[in-house]
Parts: sequence; C-alpha cells; structure tokens
Amino acid sequence: MFELLLSGFGAVFSLNILVLVTVGVAVGIVFGAVPGLTAVMAIALCLPLTFTMGPAAGLSLLVALYIGATSGGLISAILLKIPGTPSSIATTFDGGPMMDKGEGIKALGVGVVFSFLGTIFSIAALIFIAPWLAKVALSFGPHEYFGIAIFSLTLIATLSTGSMLKGLFAGAIGFAISTVGIAPVDAVRRFTFGIPNLNSGFDLLIVLVGVFAISEIIKVAEAVRREQKAAVGQVSMRSIKGFGFSMKEFFEQIPNAFRSASIGLGIGILPGIGGGTSNIVAYIAAKKRSKHPEKFGKGCIDGIVAPETANNAGIGGAMIPLLTLGIPGDAVTAILLGGFMIHGIQPGPMLFVSQGELVYTIFAALILASVLMLILEFWGLRIFVKLLAVPKHILLPIIMVLCVVGAFGLSSRIFDVWSIVVFGLLGYGFVKGGIPAAPFIIGFILGPMAETNFRRGLMLSDGNFMGFITSPIAGSFLGLAALVIVWQVWGAFRDKPSKTAEILRA
Amino acid sequence: MDRANKRELVIGAAMLATGVIYLLLTANLPRKAFIDAAFVPYLLAAGMCLLGALQLIAAWRQPPREDGVAPAEAGPDYLTVGKTLGLIVGYIAVLQWLGFPIATVAYLYLQFLVLTPHDHRVSHGRYLLIALCASVFIYVVFRHGFDLLLPAGLLDFIE
Repeated sequence: MFELLLSGFGAVFSLNILVLVTVGVAVGIVFGAVPGLTAVMAIALCLPLTFTMGPAAGLSLLVALYIGATSGGLISAILLKIPGTPSSIATTFDGGPMMDKGEGIKALGVGVVFSFLGTIFSIAALIFIAPWLAKVALSFGPHEYFGIAIFSLTLIATLSTGSMLKGLFAGAIGFAISTVGIAPVDAVRRFTFGIPNLNSGFDLLIVLVGVFAISEIIKVAEAVRREQKAAVGQVSMRSIKGFGFSMKEFFEQIPNAFRSASIGLGIGILPGIGGGTSNIVAYIAAKKRSKHPEKFGKGCIDGIVAPETANNAGIGGAMIPLLTLGIPGDAVTAILLGGFMIHGIQPGPMLFVSQGELVYTIFAALILASVLMLILEFWGLRIFVKLLAVPKHILLPIIMVLCVVGAFGLSSRIFDVWSIVVFGLLGYGFVKGGIPAAPFIIGFILGPMAETNFRRGLMLSDGNFMGFITSPIAGSFLGLAALVIVWQVWGAFRDKPSKTAEILRA
Repeated sequence: MDRANKRELVIGAAMLATGVIYLLLTANLPRKAFIDAAFVPYLLAAGMCLLGALQLIAAWRQPPREDGVAPAEAGPDYLTVGKTLGLIVGYIAVLQWLGFPIATVAYLYLQFLVLTPHDHRVSHGRYLLIALCASVFIYVVFRHGFDLLLPAGLLDFIE
C-alpha cells in the first residue's frame, strides 16, 4: 500500500499535475467562497478541460477543485456572513459574531486549519477503509449491487432536506429520465421518439450542468437586479502569528475536532447526505457537549471548528462508496463519477485491482490538495476577498458560456447544449417547487445500476426473485431499505421536525 | 386555503401529471414478457402517480398557517428571468450559424445589460470589452489549447 502511495506522490509531484492541483485548489476556493457558485459548478465547468489530459492529471484537478470548493465556503461565511456553500451554513453562526468582535482573522485561521485537519482525517480513513471494502466488494454480484442500489436510493430520497414525498419523487423522476435510450439486457429503445441523439440517453454531465449550474443562473436572475453590493468584511494580516490562534486554543479543540470529523466522515459515507447536513449536526453536537453552550452563536471558536472539520471530513467519506462501489454519495461525487467515466474508468472494486496506481495517485492528489488549501486559503486570503467583490451580473453570464462550452465539448453536438437548458428549466422548477435536486441526480445515476443488476440477477437465478432475498448481503441491504422507509414514514406521522431540518429550512 | 397550501396543491398536481404522462408513454413500449424493458418504467410511473396523489392529499389536508409568513417586500423578478431565458435560447439558436466568438460577444453584452442591478451604472464600453475579451479568451483556450472544435460560424475563414 505504502509503495503505491509513494508512487502516487511521485506522479502528483510532476510539474504539470502540481500546477493543475494548485490551480484547482485556488479555483475551487473561489467557487466555494462566492455565494451562488458551488463545487458542482466548479467541477462541471472544469471537466471539459480534462478531456485532453491523462486520467491522473484530469482526476487530480477534479479532486483539487472538490477540496478547494468545500473549504472555500468558510471565507464568505465569516467575511460576508453568508455561507458560500451549504456546507458552511453553521460556520456563519459563530464566524459572523467573531468578525464583529474584530476576531475575523482568528475565525478564518481556525476554519482553515480545522478544514485541513478534517480533510486529512477523512483521507486517512479513505486510504485504510477503501482497499479493504473493495476487497469485500469484489465478491459482489448483480443481486448484491441491486440491494445496495435500492438501499442507497431509499436513503437518499428519504434523508434529503425537505419533504420526504418530494425527495422520493425527485429520485423517481431522476430514475425515469435515466430510462431514456436503449434498455439494458433486451436493448429496446425507450422514450427516444425517433430522435437518434436520444438513443444513448442523457449524459451525466449534461444533467448535472443543467440542474445545478443553469438553474442557479436562472434563479439568480430573479433577484440580481435588486441586489446591493455585499459588505465584505476587511481583515488585516499584520502582526498575525501563525494562523491567528494559540497552541492552547488548538489543543483545547482536539476533542471537538475529533468528534466533528467522525460525524462528517460517517455522514459523508452515507449516500445522499453530505457536508450540507454534517456541518449542522456537528455544530449541534459540539454545543450539546460543550461546558459553555451559552457561548455558541456569540463568537466562540468551537462553533467554527465543529462545522468546518465536519464538512471537510465528508470529502474522504463520500469518496469511499464512490471508489469502492461506484456509488456517488452526493452531487459532487456524482460529477466526479462523470469525470472518471470520461476517462474510460469505471469506479468500483475492480478499480483497485486494475488501476491501483491511479487510485493511489488520487489519494496522493487529495493529500497534496489539502496542504495547498491550507497554504493558499490563509495566505492568499486578500486575493480571494477581492474576488468576492466581482459582480454577479458579470460573473454568471460568463459561467453560462462555460456551461455551453462544456456541454458542446462532450460530443460536439448542439443537441447537448439544448439539453442543458431543458435540465436547467427542470432544476429551476425543482427550486420553485421545493423539490431537492440531489435525489434526482442520485436516482439518475443509481437507477440504471439498479435496473441492470435487477435484470441480470433475475437471469442468473432463472427468474426467481428469491435470489435477492437469499443472498445475505443483498437481503440485508433490501431489509435495511425497508427499515429506512418504515422509520421515515413513522417519523413523518410523529410530525416532529429535527433540529437539523429546522436549521436547514431557516 | 392560503397561498402556501395552493402552491403545494399545484406541486402535487404537477407531480401527478408527470406520473400520468410517463405512464402513457410507458404503455406504448413493446411488451415481451412480464419482466422486460417496460417493467421498471411501469413501476416508476405507478410510484410517481402515487407520490403525486399523496402530495395532493397532504396539501389538501394541511391546515392554513395562522402565523402566515409575511409577504416578501418584492417578489421574484420574472421579467428578468424571461429575458435571460430568451437570451440563452437565442444564443444557442445562432451559435452554429454565427459561430462561437460572435454569438458569445453578443450574448454576454446583452446578458450583462439585462442583469445589471438598478443602482449600477450601465457601462456599454466596459461591457463590450469584457464580452469581447471573455469570448476570444475562451475560444482560443478551448479551440487551440484543448482541441475542442467550437463552431467558428461566420469566422470560419480565419482558421
């Protein structure tokens, strides 16, 4: 393992990958910091750039963007008091008050350092858990994959923010859109309406760019003309030692950081919920366990350590099911999956056997990107603060053009460009209807996996459905899926919203 | 019935309509056996119809909110949304014919104008310059740096 990791480091320390990772982290931080721009957008827009790169370089760039964008949200959460991404919602609770007290640089320093530690913790977990899980998953057949896909779909739809009905519907409609094109096993054309471009269905990148980027542009157009310039808080780096906080304060936060990292990692592994939820859960847990809960919300560093450690710890967590089973945990890992596929790589247990070196190059790129994030985000803060002031009415149309380039670049078809607009309108409809977009994407990805393995499983067991129940792993996952549904339905009847849900809806 | 309930009813109706349309489309698929290419779409259609119906019932039974949320100071600016959508559709429609560089300059310039906040001064020269620089930069980087054959359109002779 360590030999492979060393060879991975050898690959990422080549000049071109080093430059790509540095640029990726910097661009990611900008996308994370500017409210309205997201990690999904950053990766979707940079995906066309990787077309001509090798898999190691291309995927290193994408994971660097992921790390930068997840962490970058803390800059606007503290300086603007607006979370740059949903992963930094809880950071605003204490980041804002600390800024008001003149402790902005300390808040940023704490956020950056614990973001780094959270990421490193999760990458360590990823490096140790993923190869072991991949070995177990090597024995999985269609029955097991069907069970896992159904369990993941259920979890995603029921645990997503907002109404369970809408979450389930979003998952179902994503699944339904994935049925467009040639069906698995018997190769029947479905819902193509005689249009040849639809024979291969919709590409994941097209759906993601439409639902997450185009819909966001349309949404911003609703209010951008009334928008006033955001007041960007100013911080001075003069007479700052280290990262702006003492070693005593650092060591005091270790238990809080460890708990938050564990929460972030655990939630990150679960499909469908990621940094957007874990940062709030970690904040609530830190407040509950604190000796001074009354200080939360008034500007204490515990309230920054918890969300920032948790959201970044979700990075390694979300990569575990992606790399070992080919199941993306959230929208960002869904687009990373698209990135793998563009380079002809299918994530899953075989990846560790056939492309071991590449997997460890990705691990090395994750570690390198984390270190660069620590350096760039704190010491390059002034540049990122300036970028926060770029007006949205200039930025968003340019992003729209980049979306068009990305869609066209996929297969050089105008059809794909039209498709992103259609999915953009669908995503906008979701926003207006309060329907979560993440279950839609996961339904779109896991749907074909569930259907294909269902058909193959039935063929293997001569049309006998019991094969799905008698396989211990498939049976356990299907049982868990049923339990999740029962638990959620029971929860819906109790009608008692959780603290996390309340904060997310606020 | 308050506004929020009506909105939820409309969403339920849209969900149900989507399910019904998908069901009708699924009914046109050729059948070969019980488990075939139409099996999963039928399950999905049934599921979507059921979820739509449940959403409608939930919205119907939901009591009106007594502490109704105060209406926002100003609603969404749908005129700007409409103009933005129009510009995007127009941009894609002429992309192949005009070519990426020209279509992008025109789109960016017009979109900057449409999205400029009320309290900002419109600077035509600055907007044109940004549009031109962005278009040329993106075109050159992708066409020559990443071998992406973006349509050149009317400027095809330059190649």
